[in-house]
Formats: sequence, C-alpha cells, structure tokens
Amino acid sequence: MASRKSRRKTEVFGFVASVVALAVVATLTAGGAGAGPQGAAAVPRSQTLYTSGKQWGPYTNFNPLKPDYNTGVVGLVYETLFRYDPLKDKFIPWLATGGKWVGRNYVVTVRKGVKWSDGKALTAADVKFTFETQKNTGAQYGTMWKTGLSRITTRGRTVTFHFRGVPNYQEWDSNRYTVPIVPRHIFKAYSATELVSGNASNTRRIVGTGPFAYGGGAGGSQTLQWNRRANWWATKAIGMRMPMKHIVDIHNTSNTASLQNFLQNRIDLSNNFFPGINRHVGGRVGTYYKRAPYMLAANTAWLVPNLTKRPLNDVTFRRALAESIDINRIVVADYQRIVSKANPTGLLPNWNRWVNQAQAKSLGFNFSTSRARNRLSQAGYRDRNGDGFVEDKDGSTINLRLIVPKGWSDWETAIQIIADSAKDAGIKITPAYPDFNGLVDERNTGKFELVINNEKQIGNTAYTYYDYLFRLPILASQTAANFQRFSSPQAWALTQQLNKVPSTSVARAKRIHSQIQRVILTQLPAIPLWYNGMWAQYNTTHWTNFPTSGGNQATPSTWNGYINMTGIDALAKLRPR
Amino acid sequence: MATVEPQQETVVAGAVVAPSVTPQGRRRSETLYFAFRNKKLVAGLSLLVFMLLFAIVGPMLTDYDPFEFYDAFGQPPSKEHWFGTTAPGQDVYAQFVYGLRSSFIVGAVAGSVAAAIGMAVGFAAGYLGGIVDDILSILTNVVLVIPTIAVLIIVSAYLSVGSLLWEALLIGVTSWPWAARAIRAQTFSLASRDFVSLARLSGQGPWRIIVKEIAPNMSSYLFLTFILLFGGSILIAATLDFLGLGPSEVMSLGLMLNVAVSNSALVLGMWWWFIVPGIGITAIVAALYVMNVGLDEVFNPKLRRT
Amino acid sequence: MSRYLARKLSIYLLTFFVAASIDWAIPRLMPGDPINGLIARIQADPTAAQEMHGYYTESFGLDEPLWRQYLNFWLGLAHGDLGPSIAYVGSSVSDLIRAAIPYTLALLIPAIVLSYIAGNRVGALAARRKVLDNTALPVAYVLTATPYMWLALVLAYFLAFRWEIFPISGAYDFALQPAWTWEFARSFLEHWFLPFLTLFLVSFGGWAIGMRNLIIYELEADYANYLQALGAPNRLVRKYAYRNAVLPQMSGLALALGVIVGGALVTEIVFGYPGVGTLIITAITNRDYFLLQGIFLFIIIGVLIANFLVDIAYVIVDPRTRTGLQGS
Repeated sequence: MASRKSRRKTEVFGFVASVVALAVVATLTAGGAGAGPQGAAAVPRSQTLYTSGKQWGPYTNFNPLKPDYNTGVVGLVYETLFRYDPLKDKFIPWLATGGKWVGRNYVVTVRKGVKWSDGKALTAADVKFTFETQKNTGAQYGTMWKTGLSRITTRGRTVTFHFRGVPNYQEWDSNRYTVPIVPRHIFKAYSATELVSGNASNTRRIVGTGPFAYGGGAGGSQTLQWNRRANWWATKAIGMRMPMKHIVDIHNTSNTASLQNFLQNRIDLSNNFFPGINRHVGGRVGTYYKRAPYMLAANTAWLVPNLTKRPLNDVTFRRALAESIDINRIVVADYQRIVSKANPTGLLPNWNRWVNQAQAKSLGFNFSTSRARNRLSQAGYRDRNGDGFVEDKDGSTINLRLIVPKGWSDWETAIQIIADSAKDAGIKITPAYPDFNGLVDERNTGKFELVINNEKQIGNTAYTYYDYLFRLPILASQTAANFQRFSSPQAWALTQQLNKVPSTSVARAKRIHSQIQRVILTQLPAIPLWYNGMWAQYNTTHWTNFPTSGGNQATPSTWNGYINMTGIDALAKLRPR
Repeated sequence: MATVEPQQETVVAGAVVAPSVTPQGRRRSETLYFAFRNKKLVAGLSLLVFMLLFAIVGPMLTDYDPFEFYDAFGQPPSKEHWFGTTAPGQDVYAQFVYGLRSSFIVGAVAGSVAAAIGMAVGFAAGYLGGIVDDILSILTNVVLVIPTIAVLIIVSAYLSVGSLLWEALLIGVTSWPWAARAIRAQTFSLASRDFVSLARLSGQGPWRIIVKEIAPNMSSYLFLTFILLFGGSILIAATLDFLGLGPSEVMSLGLMLNVAVSNSALVLGMWWWFIVPGIGITAIVAALYVMNVGLDEVFNPKLRRT
Repeated sequence: MSRYLARKLSIYLLTFFVAASIDWAIPRLMPGDPINGLIARIQADPTAAQEMHGYYTESFGLDEPLWRQYLNFWLGLAHGDLGPSIAYVGSSVSDLIRAAIPYTLALLIPAIVLSYIAGNRVGALAARRKVLDNTALPVAYVLTATPYMWLALVLAYFLAFRWEIFPISGAYDFALQPAWTWEFARSFLEHWFLPFLTLFLVSFGGWAIGMRNLIIYELEADYANYLQALGAPNRLVRKYAYRNAVLPQMSGLALALGVIVGGALVTEIVFGYPGVGTLIITAITNRDYFLLQGIFLFIIIGVLIANFLVDIAYVIVDPRTRTGLQGS
C-alpha cells in the first residue's frame, strides 16, 4: 500500500542508493587506478615536477620499441646511443662515447660503467640485441635493415654496424638518437609479437639506464609517476644530476581542464597546445621566446595539392594559389602568434644553415593578392561568368575542396581563413572536415584535392622533408610521403644522393640542398604555410630556469622523441624555487 | 485481449492530454477565447515569435558574415560587434542569428519527419490492431529503448553529416517512438467511439477513416505532439553539433558552443562566446514547451486553473 | 505479473540483439580504413608503414570475412571481450570502459534518483500551492529547455572560473591517489558536484512539470470530485491522486533515461570528467570501431537493465499489472 510511509521509504531508499553508488564508485576507482606505492601525501610539491600535454590515452604502453609509448619512457627510463641538439645541430654522445665511419661500417663505442636499474651492466650485447629486434615484421625502426644494414658484430665494448653498398648516412644518423637501447636480459624473454606490438606492461620489469624509474600510475590513472633513482651513470660520468625527485605526468582529458590547472600553478611544464596562452605570458607564465612566436618550431604545416587534378597540375596556378594565401592572418587570428610563417622552402628554422637563403628570397612566393590575380589572368584563368571566381582555361569551374580532420579546431579555422583570402584572388576553395580516418583514406588513395599536413617533425636532417616531398615510385596508395604525387625523378635522385652524403661533407651536402630547394621553390610540389610550435609553457611558481632563447637553449618538450634530444638537459637545469 | 495503454502518456515535458469532443463550431470560438486568456500560451508564443523574427530579420541588421574573419580577436561586446567576437575574429552576433535560422530549420524538418512517422505508426497500430499492432509495437519499443543520442552519435560519426537537412532527417527518423506510442493510445480510445463505428459500417477504408474521422478529432493532440518534437529536435541537434557531429559548413548554435569550448573560451573568460548561443537554444525550446502547456490547458478544460 | 515481466524481458532481449547487430554493422559498412588512420597517427616510416598496416589489420581481425567477424563479435561478447582498442593501441576495450564507467555511473545514478524524487515532490506541491506554481514552474520550464552542455558551461563559468568555489575539471585532484581517506573523498566530491548538479537541475525541471500536470489532471478526475463531494479530507484525495500520478511518471522514467544518458555524455566533456563521454569523443575522432561498439553496447545494456528495473518497480506499485488487466 503506497502510503506516505512508503513514499518516505522510497525516498530514503533513493538516498541510500545514491550514497551506496558513490561509495561503490570510490572503491572501483581506488582499485582500478593502478597500484601506486605511495599515498596522497607522499609526493612533496617542492621536489616534484608536474608535466602535461603529451598523454591523451591511458598509460598502457611501456614498450620503448613501440610507437606512442607513455610520457618519458624513452628519455627518462630508456636511453639512446646519442642525443641530438637540433638548435646547435650537434650529436651528444650518450650511451655511446663515440662513433665513426670506418669504410662502410659504423663503429660505436659503448660507454663503460653504465648500469641498468637492476644493477646489471650495459654491454655491447644489449646494443646488438636492440638493433636486431628491428628485423621483426612491423618494427618501428625496421627500414635500416632494408636499406643497407646487413649485420652487427661486437667486440668488447665496440659495436660495428656493417652496411652493404653506400650507407644512407642521413637516415642512419637519425637512428643514432632515436633507437632506445633495451636490456637484453629482460627483453629476450619477449616474443617477436610482443616486441613489436606488446606493451611491456609488467611494471616490475621496467629496467632502463635512465635517471628515473617507475613510481606508479600504470593503466587508467590520472597521472604517471617517475621516481628519481640513484646510480644514474651520468652523475658520475658528466656530473649531471636531476634536481627533481619525482616527475608526475598528467593525463589530459581536455585542453580547458589542463589550461585551468596550469594557470592555477598545479602544472609546471605544460606541452599542451593552448590557443590564447599569449594573453598570459609574463609574470609566472613563461615560454621559450619572450615574444612571438613564443614557441620553437617543431614541424611545417604544408598545403598539399593533388597534382593529378586540374588545375593543380599547373605550376603557375599553384604559384598563384600560394600567393593568394594570407598566412599572416592565420598566424595572428588563428594562433595569436604562437606559430610563425614558414620559409618558402618549408624547411624548419633549425636547418637554416642548410637553406640557401638568397635563393629562397628571390625564388620564393610572397603573399600578394594582386600578383596572384595577374598571374592567373595571364595564364588564362579568368572569371568568365562573373561569379567572382576564375574558371579553368577550358572554361570549366574551379572549386577546390580543402580538407582537414574534423575536430582539429585550429586547422578548421585555418582553412576557413585560406578559403577567405583565396576568394579575393578569385580562387574558389571549399573547406570540408571529414573525420580523421576518412581524410587519411582520401589522402592516401589520391581522391583529395587539397589537404593540410604536418607529419614530418623536427630532426637532425632535412632529408626527411625532401623524402616527404619527392619520394618515388608513386604507388596506388601513398601512406607516408608524397601525397601530392609529385613525379620528378631528378628531384628524387638528388634526395637519394643527399641521403648518401655523410654529415661531415658539409660543402657537398649544401650544394645538393640548394639544388633540391630550387625545385621546391620553383615547382611548388606543396605549399609551406606555417611552423607548428613545440608547444611548451612554463609555470615558474615552483620551478625556474626553464629553457629560453636567452638562457638554457634546450628542447622543452616531453612529447615523444624530444627528451632524447635535449629535453633531458632542460630538465637537468631546472631549479626549485 | 489486447492490453490497453493507460490514458495518460508522459512525454518529455510532461504534457498530459485527454481528447475533448465538443461540436466543431462552438469549440473554435471557445478555444480562441481561452487561448488569448491563457498566460502561458501568450508568453510562450510571444517569445517564439520574437525569436523567429530575430532569426529572420537579425541577419539583415548586420553586414558581418558568420564565417568571415575580422580584425578583433576575442573582444567582448562593443559598438562594432554587438555580441563580441570569437578568438580568431568572427562576429558572434552574425553567428548567432544564422545559428538561430539553422535551429528553426532543423526543428521544423526533424519535427515534421518524426511527426509523420509517429502518426503513420501510431494510427496504424492503434486503429488496425491485431498483428499489425503487435509488430509495430515491438518496433516502437525497440527503437524507444535505444537511447537516441547513442544511435545518432554512431551514425553521424560514420555518415559525416554534410547538411542541415540530413541532420534533421537523421534526428526525425530516430525520435518518433514516444509520439507513435502516444498517438496509438489516443487512437485506441477514439477507435471505439460511435462515429468511428458508423464510418466503418458505411464501408470506408481504414486509412480514409483515420484521415477523415480520427485525425481531425485528435488535431489538438497532434499539434501539441508536433510542438514537443520540434523543441526536442532542436535540443538533440544542438547536442550533436556540440559533439562536432553536425554539419560544420553551416553555422549552428551547437557548433558555436563546440568551437568555444575547443578554444578554451571558458578558461580565457570569453563568456559572450558561449553564453549567447545557449540563451538562444533555451529561449526557443522554453517558449515551445510553455506554449505546449498553455495550449494543453486551452484544449482541455479540465486543466484550466482560471 | 510474471507474464508481463516475461514479455518485457523478451522485448529487451530482442532489442539487445537488434541493437548489438546494428552496432556491429554500422562501422563496417562505412568507407575508410581505421588502420590507415592508426598508422598515420604513428607517423611511421613509409616502408615500415606498409608492414605495420598488414600486421595490425591481421591482429585486429579486420581482414577476415564479414560473417566471421560477426561470429567473433558474439563469441567475444560471451567472454566479455569487446576487442582491442584502435585509438589506444594495447588497451582492451573492456578495460577502457571499465575504467570510465564508474565515473559516469557516479554522475547518473544520484542525478536520476534524486532529480526524480525531488522533481516529483516539488511538482506535487506546486499542483496545490498557487504561489509555488507561479514561481517554481517557470524555473522548471527554463531548466528543462536548457541544453545540458550549456548549463554545464554556465555553472562552470560562474562557480568554477569566476568565483572559484569548485574545480573546473577532472574527477579528483591529480596530486592524490585514490584511497579511503577524507582528503580523497573531499576532492572527489568537490569535482563531482558541478557535473552532478548540471544533470540534476535539467532533469529536475522535467519531472516537476510532469508531476504537476498529472496531479492537476488527477485532482480534476471523477473519482477525486466524487470523494470531495462525499466530504473526504483533501489529504486523502491528494494521496490517491499522487499514487495514480506516479504510474505514468514511472514509465516516463524509462524514456527519460535515454535523454539523461546523452546529457551525461556532453556534461562529462565540458568538465573533462573521465567517464564514458570523454571516451566516446576519442573513439569518434579516431574511428575506433571496437571502442565505439563497446561503449554503445554498454549504454544499451545499461539502459535495458534500467528499464527492466523500472518495470519491476512498476509492477510493485501498480496492482493492475499483477492481475494482468492493464499495464503497458
């Protein structure tokens, strides 16, 4: 009988149910969030560096040989033979004390006295083992085995990499600072599948040579903790010591959340992309540069045209298109100046010494609506039907579809700006936002017309950029390079030639660089727009002496690949406030 | 013996209706009289008309284009930009008024589609009964239980909704079940009435009877259902747009919220960017719901409090 | 009664089967290859990319014939295995969902239960007190017309950003590890409150309005007039009216579940709350077949269970269903 008493009962029941639900949830989260050895109070603020920005997924991947590993796995835990300083263009001997070419072989000397975190010594056998794991199908660094590396031999502390034919020096140089060395005595237990696509998630077997060890947070936790360990080789060998006892990386759920936490002094080093951060620079918030572009350049955003489609196959049209784009407006309006306009060759600033600046200046395109208009009309592209847009030489309509992945809001805005400014020159561009996989499909199979792409990152050699632009042969499905399907055997030959030039032959390399750049400038296989930043903002409430252009010039990023550049230097030089 | 639906059917805003059957002529003038006396109806209708006018006339009052970029980044409301600007420099007022248009279009189309399907299914199930009813009821129940938003998310994630009409169609095709159920219930009770039996005896076909006898006697109910579908569709569309699953080539209020959130408008203090579109949605939908209740009272003397 | 429940159960099982099949089918009928997207995100070397593509396609079972994949899907489901995630390579979908579900439930269950109870109470009160009717009702209308994500933004803006009473995002302070301590509980509740409030307020509006209208209708019904004519006290009349009004509200509960689940998803996104909502967005952006499938299934199962619970409650409350005469 539903009386007032039973109504009250229902309410009480509801209340109790809610409380129970909350309790259950608390238990589940307590249990499911991974066994962290410390409790709430165990991480003192003044000795902990909080980072964020890199990790958007759960902390599952502890395998340094698999791409997309957790923050810090390579760099803080596993280390590489050398490190690379992109700002000084220098290789830093790290686990190797030196390396040199002896004929067609590369001979590396493994450092003495380096101990894994479980006490065993680092040996040449570890290095050999690591590089041989890349023979497995699907391995991330497997290319070297298909392009010349034939075998590896060791003697004492030297490791010799034997090459067949002229080695690809430029590619090999990259491997020197990107391949993380793993302990043979642990990793030999993994099968080939586990090495390539496993997570190595047994947290008790995370054994590296680096300054940090696992401290907690594996799985779905909000944070990942690394604890400083004793007996890091670099302390004795070169006097380098990590000033923070703990590094805690925060899992990102949204940029808004991270920005709020950052502004509230709870994150010290943020590598998030924060549009609008320029408003806050100054006071407690710092960036690498004090003024625009605030950030170091990390990769180039290209406007990639599909050269199999008209009128994009006409270089004059491409040039007019390039001249019609107001890149400055993208830099100012879309990014509030935390990016900068790209050099017409598209090469990143850290490669400036390889760029023939005079040539770039004279042959490179500049923003000029009037010049674009003139160029178009002289080439036969005219507006015959008075709709404000030019038609093709044969009279057919020109309506170019420009795509970016849905949800990449800054790129969505950027292509709107591009369409807007191209309109003034008479070129009709329609922005579209397919989902990421759909875009990749269109791009790889050659169905697209225009797409923005920035996949090639900063590194030791611009060879990667040339490869990206000129790679041949062109297949039915282009998966990582030459989406525009630019066919110039001459340019590709030059690129391959460059690959075979050791970095010590500066003059010869520069000549080839100059020739290749000429092709980029005159043929415009793709149009370089802006440099995306190595997003990094610092909160100096708890830590100071972050990398700046006027101070410690290091790569301030925890994104994959940066700690083993000069990220570790950046961290080592921090000081608690 | 088929089970009978309870007379009242709770719908999203809790409107409750019982059919009223009074002679046509007197009903109309009586209805109008009460219509104008009903505060809720007047308030709701005025707000709705105001928003509609805003959507129609609003764009004419400004030179700004919702997609174009101007030289004022993230500025609060001012003389030049009445509702301020977005972070990359678009005019919020222009986006707002064009977004209002989209809301009205989606609401009308989706509401109509859902109403049409709901009526077809509801009438058929309620009047024809038997196996047709069983099958349609199962269909209705199945579609009803599956949360609309979940289906829409999955489908629009893969179909890449390109236009407003497609979005409206999608929404209409997934939000009809409760309407079908409600209409079915009403049809049941009407189908046992004398005038319907008379029509049946005179040999008219079932659809003829539905169209000529049953529907007109439920017209007020159908209209109310349509209003609720209209409002509900606007909310669903806003959610989809907010998730980035709506057409990004068309300006919509949900899209404004989406871009505002992606640009951390909240943390950067650009309140005008996200407060304004939400007010628009709330105003239209609240107006519709209030109108709905007001009309309900007008059509059903039992609910009148005055 | 058992026939009624059995019928309901069979409908739910059928619904589950249909929904699960649709859920499985839709991603696969769409164009585009998720593995390509995965490789692109990894930005692998072109030569390595070819190999990785074949490797991952095989390991995800995407190269098998469709009927085989469908079979594997049901087999896996029987084991509670929803497949591997493509967006978060290396994690299984069930792990990801299991980690996210507690947070979503923590928002949904209290919000649904409390808004239902409070809404019905206030609605019933408003039905008989004119003062309350004129103040609370307009508020309820505005609340129910408010889109969830907008209310979330407004609350976040004022209470978290401007006045800094509550934190703006996350489930708990990231300096803390989950533990049975007061500190953690406090942090958890602090972070939980605003998203909960959002869901509560919007749903509350709907229930209040519904209840109010139903009570009014009941109070005007014949039996109510008859009782009053007999001289029964108002309280008695109201008691019967309330009992009758509760029934349609209950069936409305099942309907409302679909709406509030959608609301929870967007609210989580605004507050960066690590529940299913945030997971969905990642799944969508990364075209993660398996993750999206798994989430959808969970939502379906959850809603079906909830519906069934409501049906049971309905049977308890409405004696007519027990005698098999009425009930939908």
